[in-house]
Amino acid sequence: MIEEPYRWVEAIANRAEYIETQLASGSPIVALGYRDGILFVTLGKTRQKLFEIYDRIAMGAIGHPGDIERLRMAAIELASTEGFTRSAADVSLRRLAHYSLSPVLKTAFEQVYGAPYLARLLFAEIGAKQENDLFLRLDYDGAIATNSANFAQTRQDFGALSGTRQSTELMEKYLAAEHSSGATFERALKLSLDAWTVGQLALGDEGVNELPPRDKIVAERKERLRAAGIEAAVLDRGDRIAIRYRTLNEQEIRSALGD
Amino acid sequence: MESSGLGIDQNLSGASDDFPALLRRRGLLATAPSPAAGPRIENKDWIPTQATTILAFKFQGGVLVAGDRRATAGNTVVYDRADKVLEIDRHSIMAIAGVPATAWEMARVLEHSFQFFRRTQLQEMSVDGKVRALSKLLRDNFGFVLQGVGVVVPIFATYDENSDPAARLYFYDAMGAQFEVADYAATGSGSPAVRGILHYENNWGKKALAKLSEDEAVTIALRALDTAAESDTATGGVDRNAKIFPVIKIVSRDGITTLPEKKIAAVFKRSVA
Repeated sequence: MIEEPYRWVEAIANRAEYIETQLASGSPIVALGYRDGILFVTLGKTRQKLFEIYDRIAMGAIGHPGDIERLRMAAIELASTEGFTRSAADVSLRRLAHYSLSPVLKTAFEQVYGAPYLARLLFAEIGAKQENDLFLRLDYDGAIATNSANFAQTRQDFGALSGTRQSTELMEKYLAAEHSSGATFERALKLSLDAWTVGQLALGDEGVNELPPRDKIVAERKERLRAAGIEAAVLDRGDRIAIRYRTLNEQEIRSALGD
Repeated sequence: MESSGLGIDQNLSGASDDFPALLRRRGLLATAPSPAAGPRIENKDWIPTQATTILAFKFQGGVLVAGDRRATAGNTVVYDRADKVLEIDRHSIMAIAGVPATAWEMARVLEHSFQFFRRTQLQEMSVDGKVRALSKLLRDNFGFVLQGVGVVVPIFATYDENSDPAARLYFYDAMGAQFEVADYAATGSGSPAVRGILHYENNWGKKALAKLSEDEAVTIALRALDTAAESDTATGGVDRNAKIFPVIKIVSRDGITTLPEKKIAAVFKRSVA
């Protein structure tokens, strides 16, 4: 099959379509930089989707639990051995993603006789200052998208991940319009849940492809929150302790939300 | 960072490996020669030295861990500001007596082991697990001990609200045996004097150690280390000229507090000097 170039392209296209279908129902994940840190939020607590990778790095993932687990473990092992042999300051998300994870994902995706990784990952690394925060999305084919300023976009203080491209783009559009980096925790929490709702509404065959009106988002958010559990974690900006990752419990979230 | 990263999971070894095993797999941690096969020390009079004094005891505010600052090689003082009381995680302290290179490396491995376990297994390691992890590091190091290049005799103190008692204190021998103590522990070359003092204070002092306030506990710790330094050349005690004080840390429910030098100096001036 892969002797002929055309067949290989076709096989890759089929495989991409298959993976996209598998990922399409994934509950969105939002990472938002705010005054005191970075907040990760998602809904639907059937299994854990937010993870601590290293002192200043966290990860959210959708996809097959087995594949997520392999990638998560690899990321932790790489970061831990680097942090041990050199120092915690030498562990960088940029290097972890660009030099280690991305090439492996690409190879697995393109070797059509092997199994690809059914996973899409959103990483964030907290910097000393807010302008050093890094948000990085890593796709099943090794493609990387970051929040840094380039010719197509200005620098953003958030990252979004969802089952479909349409959903992700809509979340980003919403956050670009609504989010300001100096937000308080309460404000960031509400906004990230709204962004999650926007992403969720855009999923599926009948998903919206334009931003819904604000009152619809709020009503929908409250409705979804009644039914599902919230999973949230923060990377704290304070430098008193080395380990910045902290999981928030449901009660903490609901009381900050106040509704 | 290595680029060959994801080889790890093919045989499902990733989840069950502990951190030292991961380091060895990557060639980042030296493996000691087997105690059975390794060369023995020629000098029959050789005794493994743990030239230092570290002590720990439980008091009202948790567990106090203290260590002098002197590092020696034979009968030469090489360093007078060594820190032998090390934070391993938010509620665990390891104090070290023995060969500094090995001890500091061990502390580093231990610190990363606890973090690695929590991150990969998504739960905190139990107190028993932590105590055992240090025991295993010592055991793995025993080949170096027999070669005369790596003896370490640590004290481990930790605080866990969910265990009974919440404050836990252990000392180890060079082969990795762990001994949990109820009141106090001391190791290193100056420890006989310290054990004498702590035993005396605990039984016939004004108060049992467990009833001491923070200032009283610091006083006892300083007096004990100074007494050890009086007869043991490898223990620094309190350097009155250079104003070098022992390192004192306290572990309690709120985590670890390192006592500021000013505070130690004040207690020293008031009730020791």
